[in-house]
Amino acid sequence: MKFLSIISRVFCAVVAFCAFTASVLAEDKLPIVRVNVTTQSWDFIRPWGKRQPVTRRAIGAVLPGPRILVAGELVANSTYLEFEAADGGRKVPATVDVVDYEANLALLKTDDPDFLKGLPQLDLTESAIGDQLNIWQLENNGRLLVTNGPMTTAEMSPYPIDGQFLIYRMTTQIQGRDSSFTLPVARGGKLTGILMSYDNQSNNANIIPAPVIQHFLKDAADGQYDGFPRAGYGFSATRDPALRRYAKIPADATGGIYITEVMKGGPAEAAGLQKADILLAADQFAVDQDGNFADPTYGKISLGHYLSTRHLVGDIVKFRLLRGGEEKTIDVKLARKDPSTYVSDPYIIDKAPRFYIVGGLLLQELSREWLRSFGNDWVRRGPANAVYADRFQLELFPNGPKKLVYMTHVLPTDATVGYEELNNLRVVKINGVELQSLDDVPKALEKPVNGFHKIEFDDDPRTIFLDAKEVEQTNRAVKMQYRLPAIMHLE
Amino acid sequence: MAQEFNYRVPWLPGPQGGGSGTGWVVGEHRLMTNAHVVSNARLLTVEKENDPKKYVATIEFIAHDCDLAVLKVADPQFWKDTKVLPLGEVPEIESSVAVFGYPIGGDRLSVTHGVVSRIDFRTYSHSVMDSHLCIQIDAAINPGNSGGPVLQDGKVVGVAFQGFSGDVAQNVGYMIPMPVVKHMLKDVSDGSYDRYMDLSIGTFSLQNPAHRRALGLPDDDKGVVVTTVSSASVCAEKLKVGDVLLKIDGVDIESDGMVQLNGERVMMAEVAERKYKGDQVKFDLLRDGKPQQETITFNRAWPYTQQANSYEPPRYIVFGGLLFQPLNRNLMATYQFASPRILYTFTRFVEDELYKDRDEAIILTALLPDPLNSYLDEFREGIVKTVDGKQVRNLKELSAALAEQKDDYVLEFEGVGRPLVLHRADVEAARERIRKRYNVLREEYLGEDAPAATASTTK
Repeated sequence: MKFLSIISRVFCAVVAFCAFTASVLAEDKLPIVRVNVTTQSWDFIRPWGKRQPVTRRAIGAVLPGPRILVAGELVANSTYLEFEAADGGRKVPATVDVVDYEANLALLKTDDPDFLKGLPQLDLTESAIGDQLNIWQLENNGRLLVTNGPMTTAEMSPYPIDGQFLIYRMTTQIQGRDSSFTLPVARGGKLTGILMSYDNQSNNANIIPAPVIQHFLKDAADGQYDGFPRAGYGFSATRDPALRRYAKIPADATGGIYITEVMKGGPAEAAGLQKADILLAADQFAVDQDGNFADPTYGKISLGHYLSTRHLVGDIVKFRLLRGGEEKTIDVKLARKDPSTYVSDPYIIDKAPRFYIVGGLLLQELSREWLRSFGNDWVRRGPANAVYADRFQLELFPNGPKKLVYMTHVLPTDATVGYEELNNLRVVKINGVELQSLDDVPKALEKPVNGFHKIEFDDDPRTIFLDAKEVEQTNRAVKMQYRLPAIMHLE
Repeated sequence: MAQEFNYRVPWLPGPQGGGSGTGWVVGEHRLMTNAHVVSNARLLTVEKENDPKKYVATIEFIAHDCDLAVLKVADPQFWKDTKVLPLGEVPEIESSVAVFGYPIGGDRLSVTHGVVSRIDFRTYSHSVMDSHLCIQIDAAINPGNSGGPVLQDGKVVGVAFQGFSGDVAQNVGYMIPMPVVKHMLKDVSDGSYDRYMDLSIGTFSLQNPAHRRALGLPDDDKGVVVTTVSSASVCAEKLKVGDVLLKIDGVDIESDGMVQLNGERVMMAEVAERKYKGDQVKFDLLRDGKPQQETITFNRAWPYTQQANSYEPPRYIVFGGLLFQPLNRNLMATYQFASPRILYTFTRFVEDELYKDRDEAIILTALLPDPLNSYLDEFREGIVKTVDGKQVRNLKELSAALAEQKDDYVLEFEGVGRPLVLHRADVEAARERIRKRYNVLREEYLGEDAPAATASTTK
């Protein structure tokens, strides 16, 4: 009996698989295309140059439009995109229609009206833990290669470029076919996610899930992409009974989180949320001691999912709070914080780094992208003062400046004798003008002090001078000597 | 016999170990050796050649900042037939010297010869924080040589003290030269060691022509500009950022910060190096273009030594199973903190004058698990900011704050938005339990001396 039941289960699985393959093949064409991407990132150490180009292949999902959906990371800093028909041969140039590097999703299109014509288009479906998911790859001959496995996990997880969102996870072995693991993940012939990363040691596959894709598509549909909103607060769990007593949480209450930080200028601040408030509920969802709510599909999951993914920018969420033991309700109008509004940009993609060379001194703005060029261990290997400024920017610079200008290094010339070894110093003022960003530099240089440019740092050697009359000549010399295409880029 | 300290279990006497070095007779019934040979020593014995007896020695003075120590041996028998070695001067480059000692143990004297290769300023690795004059020789210096005399023409010209491991460089040994040895001996002649004096200022070279013109200086390669004056420095309120220092004690300061001293070109800091507590130094300077003189009195050594290796027993407090320890180099080495806040606080403590808020950063380094602290893990590696709203400057203040009788202790940590609340009754109920369970032999050690002097209380 036991033996039989095993046989029958295996049989079932085979049947299911055949049925699915048959349904796809029945249409003769697959709802996927190959996406060939060439990317070339900027060199933030030598900001006038780009690193060597890299080409990768991925599989994109055909969605209504028709548009092709891939992971956003794939097209970051792309120089050339191309679709290639699944059944071989034909290639057409493609472009990015909408991209969200935080949610890690991109919609691609082509101007060739015939290329995607006739291809089946995928619908979206959410999946739950235990569901069988199918990862789609292509054989060289254009046949579909399917890897099946059960979904094991749905949780909030850091995304590769910035932010935290829901992921689906499955543990399964995937063949390394193309040079990327951006692959469609399906269930029952519908799209349920895009594979975002795969670790061939642990065999863990992290998938951008349907709810995140749904938000992205819905947001993009009106032609104006707003992104994923946030409320803008930090919190601590309230499991600690001493903290609960101190925060005057009633003994019969079970949940609630302690607000530790309210982001300046953020939606929560605008709604009047305060540090030390206890957040009890968002709309109809109670918040537990760890900051989770009971999602109808995924069960206990961080409230961040409800705020960022289940809502669009501009939506209003009701927060129920405890303040000093009294209950209170506030309306939080969700908004997104654009990465460029941070003092130190969390990422800079598809944009050339800004820089300004004055008399051989290379000025740049502090950004995470620049710090990352110190290597994976940039937290330890990067300049301590810059790493600290980046990491604690909200705490250190609540009232600006807009950006921090650093003199990252010196391109030695005759005029910089004695300055060669200076590097990674924050420039606070030039000719007495406090710098709000690199944009202030040209203006500040218009007014030299007694014929000299006075450059002030927040650290040793505090002040250096350049002869204002010599600067232009030095700039020309630097440009020639170091073969630079330009001495500035401020766009 | 030495005993290392254990910063993870600071109440435990650490593991015992032994080591040996070399010493030489520096004066009447006194031996000199390296500080690193006798640091953390619990039992110190000295042996003489051709004498089977081991004599007990004691440390009379130890100078961690220049890696020297003076030892006493009480037994007069030891001193029979010993001879005080005369002290020489700085040897010439390329002259030959002989290194005496007991490398890699052994009880027969070993002598190696070498040539003076280089004389410069170098970090003394015993403390890591201090740099002094140092002489490089091409005779190998091995463990056991440490503290031994280096002789030339029958006089001591150096004390062997550090080398390189074979895979970095070969035939490179370092000795502490006589100016440093004599400085130490003179410093202790009043019965106590005051440490090296330091200007604690930052200067920048004035080699750039535009920089010189902008400051109205002639093209004579003289002078450096003051870029930092620590508020805890002996120069505070005497020197100002932007001052151009032209002469130190009447000697010209060159534009790269070097001075000619006794016919040698040395860093300006060397002038301060040769001073003692109570001495003065005179600067000729330009302030806002006008010539001026300032006299600085070295009335104390630099107070913040967290970045130097410590050879004192670790200080700590255990309260409610929470282990609080002041941040220093040893703690960094033990815990390998990854917290950017701790890394910043450690590396920039002096530069960014973080000592204005506190004498030392107190870290919650570990939790001894107990029901009392099972929800407090997020505070691990936190830096204590306040107790009940009051700033805590050092470990003693923390101890005093936690000794106050009150219902709740509310601790705030740097960058943590929620307070750590401990109910006194709970702490007291848990106290014996935690002490027994984790064998906490002593609940706090605050050090024998007063905490580092604060910038505000010292004139």
